Amino acid sequence: MSDKPRHLVQSVRKLTATTFVIRIDRHAFRALAGQHVTLGPHQFAINREFSIYSSPGDPYLEFLIIARPGSETACALHQAKPGDEVDLAGPYGEFFIADPGVRARRYLFVATGVGIAPFHCFVRHFPELDYRLIHGVSRVEDRYDLADYARERYVACVSREEGGDFRGRVTDYLREHPAESDRLCYICGHSAMVANVYDLLRDQGVPSDNLLTETFF
Amino acid sequence: MKVAISYPPILNDRGQVAMVSQNRNVQYFKIPTYLLPVVHAQAATWLRDIGCEVRWDDGNAQQKSFDTWYAGLLSWRPDVVVFESTTPVMKFYWALVKRIKGDLPKTLVVMTGYHSMRKPGETMRACAADIILQSNHVDFVLKKLIPYIAEHEDWRETCEIEGLFIRVDESKVRQTGTFKRVEDLNLSPDVDRDLVEWKRYAYENGNYLRTPGTYATSVIRDCTFGKCTFCRYNGPDLTFSIRSVEKSLDECQRLIEDYGVREIFDDSGVWYRGEQARAFARGIIDRGLHKRGCYFGFNTRFAYLDEETIALLAKANFRFVLVGLEAADAETLTRLNKGYLPHQARQNLEIFTRYGLHPHLTIMVGYYWQTAEQLGATVSTVRELMFKGLARTLQVTICTPLDFTPYHKECVANGRLLTEDYNDFDMSKLIVKTPIPHEAYYQAIRDIYGVATDPRFIARQIRFLASGRGRDWEFLFRYGWRALRRVRNHVYNLTSQGRD
Repeated sequence: MSDKPRHLVQSVRKLTATTFVIRIDRHAFRALAGQHVTLGPHQFAINREFSIYSSPGDPYLEFLIIARPGSETACALHQAKPGDEVDLAGPYGEFFIADPGVRARRYLFVATGVGIAPFHCFVRHFPELDYRLIHGVSRVEDRYDLADYARERYVACVSREEGGDFRGRVTDYLREHPAESDRLCYICGHSAMVANVYDLLRDQGVPSDNLLTETFF
Repeated sequence: MKVAISYPPILNDRGQVAMVSQNRNVQYFKIPTYLLPVVHAQAATWLRDIGCEVRWDDGNAQQKSFDTWYAGLLSWRPDVVVFESTTPVMKFYWALVKRIKGDLPKTLVVMTGYHSMRKPGETMRACAADIILQSNHVDFVLKKLIPYIAEHEDWRETCEIEGLFIRVDESKVRQTGTFKRVEDLNLSPDVDRDLVEWKRYAYENGNYLRTPGTYATSVIRDCTFGKCTFCRYNGPDLTFSIRSVEKSLDECQRLIEDYGVREIFDDSGVWYRGEQARAFARGIIDRGLHKRGCYFGFNTRFAYLDEETIALLAKANFRFVLVGLEAADAETLTRLNKGYLPHQARQNLEIFTRYGLHPHLTIMVGYYWQTAEQLGATVSTVRELMFKGLARTLQVTICTPLDFTPYHKECVANGRLLTEDYNDFDMSKLIVKTPIPHEAYYQAIRDIYGVATDPRFIARQIRFLASGRGRDWEFLFRYGWRALRRVRNHVYNLTSQGRD
């Protein structure tokens, strides 16, 4: 392991009281947009999987993380300082836009919370992408880095207060605004949301071959 | 509809029985080990609940000979028989399906399992199976499929349930699209213990310190991590699904109160972590189940559980923690996509044992790149961990490419496979080209299992008695002789053939 470059923290950018973007050295690390890694403080006993938030073209790696109480790895990363070392492994996963030909297609991205990370990566990496992003959050402040998305393509479904584009959950929104069946649909978030959205989109006529899922735990 | 969910007794020429239902791998065992196939048991329960006549037909656990098992199946005359496939028994199944189709031409054969789901065309060509499930959610698919078949004579042409390969006629097979990867496991029922005759699985299983033991209905289907290249639970077609903590707690309570279970093991690829793990432990404590004489156990992986969670699990009377230590060198762990580093294995074991848990290491040897130095590191690390009491039990397997996992595909692509005969994929011998002679890996297996009779290991177990924990006394005096018997069996299985 000694010949591997050390990944040092460049910055920790706080978005809310618990959510932050950690930026680390990329070195020669290569990954496809949409993939994830395992990440943790150097020599820490545990790590966690995080989707890459930055674009493969960025000279750094970024991760969007929520530090909930009891989430030891995320909380430790939240406290990281520039120059601290982190351990990184990967990349993993097949939740990506594989075939350049399909970039001409229309996409539907559905995420809850920090499940938006791979879509942020897609949007940065493929600026020409024809997408619609449905983002479920609890509070208005959870619309992380809102300016990075084309405003007309981004819908914030805010469940606990007014001020978003839609008041309610992503499933409520999709019931009122059914998906077009030709969209290639990517769903990212917790297991129950993924299962519910999948069923909803199938009921709305999206073929199962057009549904890709990434589940958080 | 009459549906048989069948596990035929499959004996090799050495009189060993194939454990098809073992998650991730299959092995032939002489000393019986009965493993409840949980997802298929849920499928049986669900089908029974919706009105099917179900035959739980595990010929191994029911200790039947093949002839007795087969005669029983024929006389029952099922409308549908369901099998679970995995690489080393595929040739057996293809021949069996042919025989069934000769004796029961109207019976539909459904193939499930990780081999046929990844190569459905191969099984369709090799035998007369009617349907192949590409979904790992056997319970969810069968619950939709069986009623559909019952209600539609033209089901071969019209069925649109996702994730199926259907034989339309002698020349045509059709596919019904990608299956749903994430299911809400709360919808699938708990295993009906009476239907599957749970006591048949309650004693002969090395994971239990106390008996009767049982497998819980898994809280996670497949694996939350799902990246290890050698594992079935890996691939673009697979992710994990999850069951609620409350539902799982309810089942544990029933198992303890209604069935008198004394050890519950959850064979999820990787069990809960984080908040769910803590909520589960708190639930066990809040319900007083930690004081009912029942131990709990699960599979996990290194770098997954933090100390606060482990402390809470120990308080809730968790004991057995099964964790993979696939190698002791970083290069191999990286190539296997394990997502942890050697130092994390040691750190995690120190925390597990600090709180009195009994870590069980699952070790593998025989990767096609594994050098003498890497192999030696595995052996010396494992022996040291065992002598220091940082792990309590272990098992070693030969890493065998199976079921078209990434490791299997890698072996094929790199020309490392020594055989294409599926019968050789039974984990009893190395079947890949390696940089050092195969005998070195067999010797490593003997050296690792040799720990069990090493005075340093025995002395460490005796020192554990000073902890005052009842489980340490039970471990030494009740479990010890059983473990020794199994060690001899494992060494025989893994080192006595394939070296001619």
